[in-house]
Amino acid sequence: MTLHGFILLGLALFSLGLVAVLSRRNLIAVLIGVELMMNAASLNFMAFNRYVVKDPAIGQVFVLIIIGLAAAEVAIFLSIILRLYRLRRDIDVEHLTGLKG
Amino acid sequence: MDSLTLVLLATGAPLICFLICILALRPHPGAARVVALGGMGLSLFGSVTLLLQGPVEPLRFLWFSSGEIQLQFGFLLDGLSLLFAVAVALITFCVMLYSIGYMAGDPGTTRYFAMLSFFAWAMLSFVYAVDLLQVFIFWELVGLASFFLIGFWYEKPEANAAAKKAFLMTRVGDVGLLIGLLLILPLSNSFDLPHLLDPQAGLVRLALPATLTLITLLIFVGIVGKSAQFPLHTWLPDAMEGPTPVSALLHSATMVAAGVFLMARLHPLFMASEQTRTVVLCVATFTAILASTMAMVERDIKKVLAYSSISQLGFMLIGLGAGSLFAGVFHLVTHAVFKALLFLCSGVYIHHLATNDMEEIGRRGGRQLRLTTAALVIGSAALAGVPPLAGFFSKEEIFAQLGHGGLGPFAIGAFAAAFLTAYYTGRMVFLVVAPAQIEETSHDHHGDPQPWVMLAPIVLLALGALTLGFFGSSIAATLGVQLVHHSLVSMLPAIGVVALGGALAWFDFGRKSAPRRGFITRLAALETLFIRQWYVDDFYRTIVVRINTALAKTMHFIETRGLDAGFDRLGFNTLGLGALATRLQSGWVQIYTGGAVVLLGLVVAYFGLR
Repeated sequence: MTLHGFILLGLALFSLGLVAVLSRRNLIAVLIGVELMMNAASLNFMAFNRYVVKDPAIGQVFVLIIIGLAAAEVAIFLSIILRLYRLRRDIDVEHLTGLKG
Repeated sequence: MDSLTLVLLATGAPLICFLICILALRPHPGAARVVALGGMGLSLFGSVTLLLQGPVEPLRFLWFSSGEIQLQFGFLLDGLSLLFAVAVALITFCVMLYSIGYMAGDPGTTRYFAMLSFFAWAMLSFVYAVDLLQVFIFWELVGLASFFLIGFWYEKPEANAAAKKAFLMTRVGDVGLLIGLLLILPLSNSFDLPHLLDPQAGLVRLALPATLTLITLLIFVGIVGKSAQFPLHTWLPDAMEGPTPVSALLHSATMVAAGVFLMARLHPLFMASEQTRTVVLCVATFTAILASTMAMVERDIKKVLAYSSISQLGFMLIGLGAGSLFAGVFHLVTHAVFKALLFLCSGVYIHHLATNDMEEIGRRGGRQLRLTTAALVIGSAALAGVPPLAGFFSKEEIFAQLGHGGLGPFAIGAFAAAFLTAYYTGRMVFLVVAPAQIEETSHDHHGDPQPWVMLAPIVLLALGALTLGFFGSSIAATLGVQLVHHSLVSMLPAIGVVALGGALAWFDFGRKSAPRRGFITRLAALETLFIRQWYVDDFYRTIVVRINTALAKTMHFIETRGLDAGFDRLGFNTLGLGALATRLQSGWVQIYTGGAVVLLGLVVAYFGLR
């Protein structure tokens, strides 16, 4: 596989994630979309690290941070979804318009 | 006692009495009368002693200085102020004594006497003032005191209106005075009167002739307002709404006299400007004639006296404008005495017969108040200028001055005014003394059933009106002026004019088969003009007031519909814009996210394509 293939794979993953974030009603699906986008970014970093930069540490540092971030984010996101469900019995994004002007 | 103690006594005693009365004696009108009268007595004692001690150096205390400018407070004790202060104190004292009888039983007695004391303090401090700023402050306080006293019966709407009118119309003049004074300050850096009037280093030298003319004309505007000259004279007849003793005070020694006194005080400045002198003479002569014509047709005795005050104030200004300090001041002093006398007499009639109308006074038996009627005749004769009473000598002095100065047209005007004065004064006397018929009343009016406190001042002032004319030389000496004695022949025109006016009045009102209508009734148009007071007040009411109201309305329109509405619209539009903007906030997270992505895409595209 070449750098080109990795970039295309990352792009596809990112786009799928974006579509999920923008179009899915279910909050959990949105969360999965966000995870996909983050993983696409991680893949990108690793691919550039492997093919462009000679020092292997730089890309790995970024990826490790992203993995940590994603773990924290999932924990918070899921707890919010849980509270929301308990409160409203509903996690449809289109119904969560409490901040409407 | 030294001068400072005396002058502080003369000015301070009324002030302290005012404070005592107004603060502590509200429930004790009897005590207030005694305190006010006592204070005025002390003040009179102080001013008379000062006059007897003669002129001394001015007493000055630095009030404050700012840079080059120095402002002082103090007392100017020259002949003019010493003399006039005595007249003020004496007449205020007489009026207070008289008021004890006149105002007996009035619920506002304490307030009345407190305000009289306040008035006396303001006027005496004005007269003694050494600094023009001090002059201005007390000038305004005199106006304020007049406002309070004219509107004394504040339950009466007419009294309130008259008080407001007096205050506002004099304020029109005061604007001129203030501007005039402010023009002086940069020239001299000081308002000190002896310094300003100094012929070598004073204002006459410091100011350009044109500037001096401007300054004196502006000051004269203030004098016109205060001394009720045309065109600002209409407040004075309305001021009759106050109690009669107040009118006596207002018309003789205080308030209106303040204007003439200021001109006498600044006489050298006025003399230095030929244009100002001409303006003064024109205004004063016209006013003297104008007011006399109005007095000819008036039926209210107090208003006749009010018009005559306006006319006599015109005479004083003619005298001063013609160049003789002595003529103006002499007439100011004699007029103060006989006009106070006449008002006090009219007060007795009003008090006793409960009417202001002269014919009504005659019909109800005014002449049976013998002492008062005798005093009225004396006062009227003095006013008309019958020799050898006070008014004759002072008026004669004015005529002589006009003759010396070669001011022919003004002399003719003054003679006309004097003729009319004799006529309307005669009319007043004959209407009271020789009525067509006398009503039979149940109670007899024999003698004067008035309390002695009302009669004593009348007698005192009547004696003054009888004899004051012979003190001309000592008054001239006090003023430091050389008096020129006039021959009997030069007095003849003055005597003739008075005799003519008196005879015409007798022909119209006095004789047995008199028509009891003025000759002016044959000239209907003129009579209407005089009765409507030359339409001056109507002019103010219809034109000036209307213009003012229209201006105010325009301003109100601009304010509410223009400025206010503009800012209102700005506010409302901002609100509307905000309301519009809130619609963007759908609360739908995915739209925000999509928007962010699109925006990001646009930014990337922009930078990528560049």
